[in-house]
Amino acid sequence: MNDTIQNILAFLALGLALSFLVKKFFWKKSKKKRAFGDAHDCDNCH
Amino acid sequence: MSKQINVALIGNPNTGKTSVFNALTGLNQKVGNYPGITVEKKEGICRLPRGVKAHIIDLPGTYSLNASSLDENVVIELLLNKNDKDFPDVAVVVSDVENLKRNLLLFTQIKDLEIPCILAINMADRMRYKGITLDIPHLEEQLNTKIALVSTRKNYGIDELKDLITNYKELSTAPCMNASAIDQDYFDSLQRAFPNQSLYKLWLVITQDVNFGKTDRNEIEAVADFKTKSKADLKRLQQKETIKRYQFINDTLKQGQTIDLTTAKDLRIKLDLILTHKVWGYVIFFLILLLIFQAIYDWSSIPMDFIDSTFASLSEWTKNALPEGTFTNLLSEGIIPGLGGIVIFIPQIAFLFLFISVLEESGYMSRVVFLMDRGMRRFGLSGKSVVPLISGTACAIPAIMATRNIENWKERLITILVTPFTTCSARLPVYLIIISLVIPDKRFFGLGYQAMTLMLLYLIGFGAALGSAMILNKILKIKSKTFFVVEMPNYKLPLLKNVVLTVIEKTKAFVFGAGKIILAISIILWFLASYGPGDEFNNAEDIVTTEFTDQKLSIEEFHEHVASQKLEHSFLGITGRAIEPAIRPLGYDWKIGIALVSSFAAREVFVGTLATIYSVGSDDEETIKNRMAGEVNPILGGPLFTFASGISLLLFYAFAMQCMSTLAIVQRETNSWKWPILQLVIMSAFAYIIALIAFQVLK
Repeated sequence: MNDTIQNILAFLALGLALSFLVKKFFWKKSKKKRAFGDAHDCDNCH
Repeated sequence: MSKQINVALIGNPNTGKTSVFNALTGLNQKVGNYPGITVEKKEGICRLPRGVKAHIIDLPGTYSLNASSLDENVVIELLLNKNDKDFPDVAVVVSDVENLKRNLLLFTQIKDLEIPCILAINMADRMRYKGITLDIPHLEEQLNTKIALVSTRKNYGIDELKDLITNYKELSTAPCMNASAIDQDYFDSLQRAFPNQSLYKLWLVITQDVNFGKTDRNEIEAVADFKTKSKADLKRLQQKETIKRYQFINDTLKQGQTIDLTTAKDLRIKLDLILTHKVWGYVIFFLILLLIFQAIYDWSSIPMDFIDSTFASLSEWTKNALPEGTFTNLLSEGIIPGLGGIVIFIPQIAFLFLFISVLEESGYMSRVVFLMDRGMRRFGLSGKSVVPLISGTACAIPAIMATRNIENWKERLITILVTPFTTCSARLPVYLIIISLVIPDKRFFGLGYQAMTLMLLYLIGFGAALGSAMILNKILKIKSKTFFVVEMPNYKLPLLKNVVLTVIEKTKAFVFGAGKIILAISIILWFLASYGPGDEFNNAEDIVTTEFTDQKLSIEEFHEHVASQKLEHSFLGITGRAIEPAIRPLGYDWKIGIALVSSFAAREVFVGTLATIYSVGSDDEETIKNRMAGEVNPILGGPLFTFASGISLLLFYAFAMQCMSTLAIVQRETNSWKWPILQLVIMSAFAYIIALIAFQVLK
């Protein structure tokens, strides 16, 4: 395995790591809106 | 091609529904979330006779179809939506033989939705001890269903249940009760308005909105607006429905069930008197906790040492066996040590969950909830807050989600805000490694100092949660009604299969959830530690040669100095040095500072980060613990991890809000950024002050 391949593999790993973290913590998934689940939902019924 | 059917497992909490699910699916199961919400979704595959495959969904436990929590609402949402891909071809209603009357309420409601239903009466092995006799043919006739007598403990009845599921098309879908009996006039008008709809389904859609706010179901949206009656009237009708159902159930059980109390052998009352005693109850709980923490240390030391040395050898082997180069270095100095920093804690985490699972399975945990309720009230919490606080020892995220069954908004908010103080499993790796470095491995009357320190940290976590709850109770001006109802399940010997599956599931979630983040951060840290700007980094060899011209360095010493020079002037070193002034008063150096910052993603990243930082440029085959023990304080000389700096670090982690995911879930649950930001600022400031005081006093 020469240096070029080693470098490519290493930086590929870096790219994957960065994209994983960005996706995990900063990527906003669009979620189906639900009307229930609001903080005070249960207050009215008890 | 084999046919697949959808089977929904539904039942009251504590009926052994999950045991039936485990018996049907074995290891063919996965845990996820319902889309858009954070309620846990358990599903699995079961192979039935004649090549039929069943997709089994273990739905959240619910007492009836009149939901009052998000978990319960999931059950109704599924049963009302025929277009849902998980809509059941057949529903298996799991009930407990000792609580059949209460469990049948839910059964009759589901039956009235005209879904093919099987009644699985679980814990049938206990009938003998409780003096219970069931007339199954009579019950089947009255309830218009097929019944399977099941005992997951004694492993019988599951094959019969599988046969009934396979032949689900033979089941009657006739309802148990005529819905119109609830209120003839109202139901007649409802039927006239929606002639093609099932009457009971219409009724549930209307009452669900009454119970739970308006849902966004499009299909029968018009029905939700069909509110010719006030909310109070609809509530009264719901109560009337419940009474009518119990009348039907009483009539059914009058002939179908006999209980001979003279033959019942029950230890439950005697045990309850001791375990919930106002003095002995607490003493026993405390002793159980002590036993757990001692066992965590004693039992897991051998596998931990083995894992630690294996990863050190693997790292060394990778370096020697693979061709020299960047990727080989990344593997041996970044990825493998980083992964070692998480895998090493599998034994201890598995033991912790083993004990928690045994306590839950045995029915003891509910006694703890009951026992704690009185005390909790003083702190502005309820007995139900104990469940999130105890769940918080695993992870604050599901624990915060578990607050949803606390009906009182103020109590729920306080529980959400204080739960992150409890010692989660992510803190465990940090605690374990630091305790092993700074607390002597000695015993006092058979109890290890290290185990006692760990227990003390757990108690500090609970103490901080209770103390802050008391303060919040005084500060927060929210008025809401409160009540506390808890079910006391029977005492049971924990089922080995359930305990093992829980341990596997929780450990897997810990390793794979945190493991991916740790791996990614280890890779980035390695790059940051292996590259740097300027001559100080790039000409490290020349600088060391010039600096040590007078001293005769061995090749090993030369390499160590070069590695140290490079690390100090790498991107990571520069960042660490920038934050060092802020953390030096706490007894930490810049390397610990880097670990503190990176562990904000997840606390357990701390150990992996230090393992990676200490591995960069090192040629020795060393375990993580030895590397940390060998670190020298750059200012004072001597070991970096002393009693003072170790205790300071332990206290910092005990109080700091070092978890991005928890903040995100608090935002989601409170629907506001105000609370997570306040939580972050207050917890971090408090952690800093306590850690500062601890170091300055102890140094």
